[in-house]
Amino acid sequence: MTTTPSSPRSPRTLRRPVVGLAATASAAALLLSGCSTGADVAGSGASAGGEPVAGGDLTFAITVDSHCIDPQQVGNNDAIAAARQTVASLTAQDPESGEILPWLAESWEVNDDASSYTFHLRDDAAFADGTPIDAAAVKTNFDAIVDLGAVASLGSQYLVGYAGTTVVDERTVTVDFDEPSAQFLQATSTFSLGLLSPGSATLSAEDRCAGKYVGSGPFAVKSYTQDQEIVLEKVAGYAWGSEANQHTGEAYLDTVTFKVIPEASVRTGSLQSGQIDATAALNAVDLPQFDGNGFWLQYRANPGVVFNLFPNESSPLAADEAVRTALVKGIDRQQIVDTVLTPQDRPATGVLSHSTPLFEGADDLLAYDPEGAKKALDDAGWVVGADGIREKDGQKLTTTVTFWQVPEPLELVQQQLRQIGVDLQLKHVTVAEAEAAKESDDFDFDYYNLTRSDADVLRTIFSANARNINQRDPEEVDELLDDSAAATDPEERQRLVAEASRLLLERGHAIPVYELSTTIAAADRVQGLAFEASSRLDFYDAWVTDGAGE
Amino acid sequence: MTRYVLRRAGQGVFVLWAAFTVAFFVLYLLPSDPAALIASGGGEVSQVDPAQLAALRAEYGLDRPILVQYGDALLSALRGDFGASYVSGASATSTVAQALPETLKLTGAALVVAVLGGTAVAVASVFPRARFLRQALSAVPPLGVALPTFFVGLVLLQWFSFRVPVFPAIGNEGAISLVLPTITLAVPAGAQLAQILSRSLRGTLGEPYVETAWAKGASRTRVHLAHALRNAAIPAFTVLGVMEGGLLGGAVVTETVFSRQGLGRLTVQSVNQQDVPVVLAVVVFSALVFVVVSLVVDLVYPLLDPRIQVRAETRPSRSRRAGAVTA
Amino acid sequence: MTLQTLSRPATEAAPASVPAPARGGRPRRAARVARHLVRRPGLLLAVAVLLLVAAWAVLPQAFTAQDPLGGVPADRLQPPSGAHWFGTDHLGRDVYARVVHGASLTLRTTALAVVVGLVVGSLLGLLAGFLRGWVDDVIGRLVDVLLAIPSILLSLAIITALGFGPVKVAIAVGIGSVATFARVMRAEVLRVSTSVYVEAARASGLRWPAVLGRHVLPNSSGPVLALVALDFGTAVLAVSALSFLGYGTPPPAPEWGALVSGGRDYLATAWWLTTLPGLVIVAVVLAANRVSRALEKTGEDQ
Repeated sequence: MTTTPSSPRSPRTLRRPVVGLAATASAAALLLSGCSTGADVAGSGASAGGEPVAGGDLTFAITVDSHCIDPQQVGNNDAIAAARQTVASLTAQDPESGEILPWLAESWEVNDDASSYTFHLRDDAAFADGTPIDAAAVKTNFDAIVDLGAVASLGSQYLVGYAGTTVVDERTVTVDFDEPSAQFLQATSTFSLGLLSPGSATLSAEDRCAGKYVGSGPFAVKSYTQDQEIVLEKVAGYAWGSEANQHTGEAYLDTVTFKVIPEASVRTGSLQSGQIDATAALNAVDLPQFDGNGFWLQYRANPGVVFNLFPNESSPLAADEAVRTALVKGIDRQQIVDTVLTPQDRPATGVLSHSTPLFEGADDLLAYDPEGAKKALDDAGWVVGADGIREKDGQKLTTTVTFWQVPEPLELVQQQLRQIGVDLQLKHVTVAEAEAAKESDDFDFDYYNLTRSDADVLRTIFSANARNINQRDPEEVDELLDDSAAATDPEERQRLVAEASRLLLERGHAIPVYELSTTIAAADRVQGLAFEASSRLDFYDAWVTDGAGE
Repeated sequence: MTRYVLRRAGQGVFVLWAAFTVAFFVLYLLPSDPAALIASGGGEVSQVDPAQLAALRAEYGLDRPILVQYGDALLSALRGDFGASYVSGASATSTVAQALPETLKLTGAALVVAVLGGTAVAVASVFPRARFLRQALSAVPPLGVALPTFFVGLVLLQWFSFRVPVFPAIGNEGAISLVLPTITLAVPAGAQLAQILSRSLRGTLGEPYVETAWAKGASRTRVHLAHALRNAAIPAFTVLGVMEGGLLGGAVVTETVFSRQGLGRLTVQSVNQQDVPVVLAVVVFSALVFVVVSLVVDLVYPLLDPRIQVRAETRPSRSRRAGAVTA
Repeated sequence: MTLQTLSRPATEAAPASVPAPARGGRPRRAARVARHLVRRPGLLLAVAVLLLVAAWAVLPQAFTAQDPLGGVPADRLQPPSGAHWFGTDHLGRDVYARVVHGASLTLRTTALAVVVGLVVGSLLGLLAGFLRGWVDDVIGRLVDVLLAIPSILLSLAIITALGFGPVKVAIAVGIGSVATFARVMRAEVLRVSTSVYVEAARASGLRWPAVLGRHVLPNSSGPVLALVALDFGTAVLAVSALSFLGYGTPPPAPEWGALVSGGRDYLATAWWLTTLPGLVIVAVVLAANRVSRALEKTGEDQ
């Protein structure tokens, strides 16, 4: 759930963390077990309303302006909401099935070890200024992303091991890597690798952040007033919509206005009073009033790694496997969802979210088992002290979780863990500090989720040979994870990922809490507003019922 | 007189330098890595390649010794260049300049409303003959000071924007969007002014020249307004100098509640994101406003009250010290 | 200078008081205070409020049996009722219990903030007013700098640099009021040390430390004490505003400012979360203000 924070520190708190390096391995259909990526619709009006009409404006509320709307640089969901609409990508990912579909590239080939990708581009696509989208433009883009370096944080990760792009002919381009990169195909469907015009791709990072770029998508930046609003206008002549969408021509809406409203209750009131048309950033407690009554709700679980407590196993208490196991068993996930989240949210049933392609549930490992938790701690010698907190050898079972998101779910976790004798202290900091703590591994337990529509995110976070969030030595699970990065057969990949997930849970390297989901709340006049594969917003098919004739 | 002005101007420059330095070193203490912040651009991607981070650090000069960085920053600041925002890459100065006009509009309007409203309440709390009325009205300013600003703002929004859609809740468009935020911001400032002014009024009403006015048969209105208020206003005037600074602080909360673009929100966001160049620019700018307003108040004050003498000496004499905020 | 207030020249704007003559002894003063109180019901009420809150801080268990830190999630967001006087919050915790237990935390934080402002500010003001000369100039500039940097910025930066937690919040807020204490103390010290009876004391051979202790400090303290009471109220508000901006005490601590700002998302649906703790804050601030005014008056009457 997009648990919107209760403070105007909210800019950061509302960021639904992004990222993940992952990609579905091939273009084959990925209707694999457990992969229920479909959106769930609640309320009325979402798909009613008849035929789309062109024209009109849609005003959408976001929480924060991170002062950059360059699709190749953004990492924050609010910025993505706007930036995504301005670029087209080589491929698209079907939000229902997770399948990779053609977009700017009509077809592609991948070599056996996923180190070389050849794309065949369609011949009728052009940038918003009319420049044709050809192989040279693709090369310019990828080279520029690599050049941007650290500021293109997502894109540069997808291009790890990038050896170069070759322009075979005007419509054919080959991207080569030094090492197998099975995630790359899915990466080409993301906004981070969306295409900008060759002129724009080489502008300064700061100009691009300010929106002064020419994109390839159905909308273009009309104006951008920092901390205030971003206005997009439709690109005339756009005719290359992907098969993941409902149509292929121009966008229906004339303009989309993103208004920055930091206060949660103001977003609610604005939607209620018609000052905005839609938003995806409402508090759980305010959602019910928009279920009907002239509004509709639609939600989708964010794919990727769910909200987890990530133990830093170089810190004394997190190194104790009994403690980690107790934490896994001692959290009542359903109670958290029932109390502080929405009916659309779900307790975690695995390290990954159920809407991630290749997901396989591990419910048995995540059942609420306080007795089992207590037993694990008792067996390890942790004795309950006078104040209810356990101790062993003079040391109290007190540890800290460092986070910037809304504290309510963790407050409840804290309350639940008290009952098994664990004192979990909440260290609520700013995003910048949380990032710094992550960088310097200065935490006992970290807490975040990563949204990405590919299972590779599991490997990049947990593998001891990648980010190694646990700070541990390589063991069996890392072999599984690393193998999954090179597996091109989807069934084999799923097997590896599922086994790795179970191992992570059994050893307590991951302590999942709940699945984040994004919920759109919109007035009935808004139609066709939908989620794309990574649960980000897609305005391409959106239209308003009263926009005709403008 | 010129010597006095020059002295005060010199002191002002010192204050600006000191504010810059204090802010610079406090921000330097922050537990974060500017390079990682620039890389993530305010987002929270945590998997950046260390080599790229090192390159970024070198590019921004973040790997030099702190004193060198300080000296460089100071020299640039003198030219008005506070560096590039870690988050957006745009010049800090232009970021502040962009946010400034909106805040000026808001604080300016709030200042006017606060002065008018505060004066009205203050006069009303001493004017009536009935004691209970005076006491009741005297209770208003403390209440205004006691209410949290964000609470006032949110309640106003609930009642006058959401339930009864009169005023817009968001944005900076048009004078109508200024109404609710101005009221919200003016309440604590006006209440404070009312408190000070009413005290001052009560004191002034006991002065001999007021008794003389009564004795000469002046009407109640004339005594209160023409005599007492004019003289009581003088000490309150000195508060104006500091009020603008307080309004700037209150604007932080108000702009957030009403989703208005402005310096207040920019401040909070840049502190949150530890966007040091922008924070420095904001600090220096606020200090500049304070210094200028203080100087203007100090210069105007003696014009209002002929009993005050302007002296450029360092040791205070028995008479009121020039420039000091004593009445 | 804290967030909500401007400088507190309440005493500065007042006409300079006539130097005080010698006062009566302690018993007479106590009796006078008591008579004073009884004749002023408003003041009595204010003192009663403050005493009640102090009692909450010292012995919360005497006022509520419910657990402020743990709730029954199934009972979340209940309106005020017989079972829960102030209703329950989003995790099912009793709000009244949280307010009562939060009194000690809030008062401690606020008291610390006031003490920081008082001690540091008064010291600076004392030095400036007493020694005058270049010391006065330097301290004057220091105070100017403190006033020039917006207090919110100062508080935010200090908290971000030092970290979260009640003590750090208190220090950050306290530093904001140093400037005002310094100015008031300085003005009073100047007034007193240039007065006739101090000259007389000096002339009769009394050395400076004794003059300081016996004459200057006691006579300067009136307005300063009044400012303490006033600052108390504003410190509570400043902490609350910082909570609103996300810089408050970490959960589940029931600090009042955190309660008020934490409940604001529920203003439309569960108004009691913000409004009732907010009213408690308003009552305390008003009471503190009232006491402050009374202290000022007694200071003047002397």
